[in-house]
Amino acid sequence: MRIVVCAKEVLDPDAVNSYAVAGRLEIGEDGRTITQAAIPRLMNAYDEQAIEAALRIRDAGVECTIAVVSVGGDQADVLKQAAAMGADEIATITVDTSTVDYHVAARLLAAYVEHSGGADLILCGRQASDDDQGVVPALIGEALGIPVITIARAVEVTSDAARVTRVTPNGEEIVEADLPAVVTISNELGLPRYPTTAGRIAARRMQANVLSPDDLGLTPDDLQPRVALTKQFVPQVQGNCEMLSGDSPAQIASDLIERLRADQVLP
Amino acid sequence: MTIVACTFGDPTASGEVEELLTLARRLSESNASDLRWLVAGSAPRAAVEELAAAYGVATVDRIDDPKLEGAAPDASVEALAQYCASRPPATLLLSQTFDARLVAPRLAGRVNATVMMNAVDVENDVGTVRVTVSAYGGDTRAVYELTGDGPHVIGVMANATAPERSSGATPVINDVSVDLSRIEERIRIVERTPEQGPRLEDANIIVAGGRGLGSADKFHHVEDLAEALGGMAAASRPIVDDGWADPSRQIGLTGKVARPALYIAAGISGASQHMAGCSAAKTIVAINRDPDAPIFRYARYGIVGDCIELLTELTNAVKAR
Ligand SMILES: Cc1cc2nc3c(=O)[nH]c(=O)nc-3n(C[C@H](O)[C@H](O)[C@H](O)COP(=O)(O)OP(=O)(O)OC[C@H]3O[C@@H](n4cnc5c(N)ncnc54)[C@H](O)[C@@H]3O)c2cc1C
Ligand SMILES: Nc1ncnc2c1ncn2[C@@H]1O[C@H](COP(=O)(O)O)[C@@H](O)[C@H]1O
Repeated sequence: MRIVVCAKEVLDPDAVNSYAVAGRLEIGEDGRTITQAAIPRLMNAYDEQAIEAALRIRDAGVECTIAVVSVGGDQADVLKQAAAMGADEIATITVDTSTVDYHVAARLLAAYVEHSGGADLILCGRQASDDDQGVVPALIGEALGIPVITIARAVEVTSDAARVTRVTPNGEEIVEADLPAVVTISNELGLPRYPTTAGRIAARRMQANVLSPDDLGLTPDDLQPRVALTKQFVPQVQGNCEMLSGDSPAQIASDLIERLRADQVLP
Repeated sequence: MTIVACTFGDPTASGEVEELLTLARRLSESNASDLRWLVAGSAPRAAVEELAAAYGVATVDRIDDPKLEGAAPDASVEALAQYCASRPPATLLLSQTFDARLVAPRLAGRVNATVMMNAVDVENDVGTVRVTVSAYGGDTRAVYELTGDGPHVIGVMANATAPERSSGATPVINDVSVDLSRIEERIRIVERTPEQGPRLEDANIIVAGGRGLGSADKFHHVEDLAEALGGMAAASRPIVDDGWADPSRQIGLTGKVARPALYIAAGISGASQHMAGCSAAKTIVAINRDPDAPIFRYARYGIVGDCIELLTELTNAVKAR
């Protein structure tokens, strides 16, 4: 069985949050992109968990090859990490990221699957923490004409089907679909493993398969973006917080309840 | 050119339809295009008529087919794809529910439409659809331009638009038939937890706890105050990940989006991804021992102190009356 995991490099969302909260998030001169060099780039956390999900399938005794693929400019760190975690193959599709929209990314990833020996299971993150879109996996599924199961907490596979535990707003749900299928992984999967020393050493020797859109049989037409980012800004949060203090927690508590009643927030 | 607002099932089941119809109407008025409301799945006719009239929708298209019952992604995508083929909309807007988050991009892939999720605003500017979306969990807003004739499939975030009624004539309701006879859901449900009780999305009062509670055995302080106030208990993601609270309690970008009258956040830092699920609350009260915690930027009232102590005293104060 062949499992393809799609992994994207993103700006560390916690660092972005810290800068935004401090009012120091910098948008570059193009007015569109976050330029802060101090913000680390790392693998989208859900994608790390997607790799973990693949490794758990292998740990469960399923014979499989795990390939991790990333679309972007310089994905060396993301792929090295994937290899250190235990991926068997790593691949990067080199394109100018500024011209890659979700449609193009999905098309490239679907073409990679078709050109790299197919996939019985494609694992993605539920969404990328930079754009939060969560559309690429569904677009891959449609491009390949296969089912898409979102927001998985656990994935098991048999020779021809996937059994997935999904986290829905109403609670958990167990579903099944024939393979091949796309499954998106959510944080409820749990922590991804740390690469072992042996894994790191092996990763150093592993060569990434570097592919161009041309290698994947795609034409410039296929790469025409249809959504263009024209602007990015930090929305203002207007604070009007009144700090309550008092001699004791009990007093502050009753003060708060009184105010909420006066405001008619509480009866 | 046509703007289609699309909802699934009973539109009165949630408040999102009013927001969607408001945004769709604004968009259609801004460039004098037709507005239609597509109701997929079984929905009470009277309720649909009433909402359409109240929000100025003159034409309602209904697709009712037994295969659309429950979350049926294959049938939903196919039904919408057939609809788009027979009367191509310029823009199709959907409320971004859990199920729509899958159906929207799949539909886009199926009919070769562009797709954009997390929209907080949509404008039409001489043939270019401009969508403002939330990114980085809400830390930034990104503006995208969608080119081509469409269709453009756009997922609209909850709480982004204030509902605004608009009087209209009695709506015309069309029954649109689609052929789903060949559709068999490829995803088989093996086990499903039945829908339980009240939804956080509808709660009027929410008390939420975060990592500041300290440990799993402290979550009951959140539940105690919620109960005393007649509200619901909720949680930030880390404490759900650590098993202190059930995933169905999670508020935020990847959890529930709520809009209570009162949101009490105890031991929650106020990361954008959390606030994405509660910043629409009318009154936010923040309890945090760090006076610089970002949550205070969103709060109406702030208390610097230990959240366990304060939750306990608040519960006492509420019960004392
Ligand atoms: C893509 C993505 C999606 C995400 N989705 C969500 C989501 O849906 N929901 C969500 O909540 N998060 C989400 N997160 C995580 C989010 O970024 C934050 O990490 C998270 O909200 C922090 O949770 P917290 O406030 O409980 O914990 P922390 O950030 O650790 O904050 C704990 C707070 O408690 C305070 N504190 C500590 N002890 C006490 C005490 N005794 N009394 C009072 N205060 C105390 C501290 O000062 C601190 O402010 C997401 C992140 C990403 C990247
Ligand atoms: N450039 C990319 N390279 C590899 N995988 C990607 C890329 N963009 C998106 N994905 C995959 O699709 C998921 C959802 O991304 P998005 O739709 O951009 O939120 C991610 O978690 C990845 O698994």
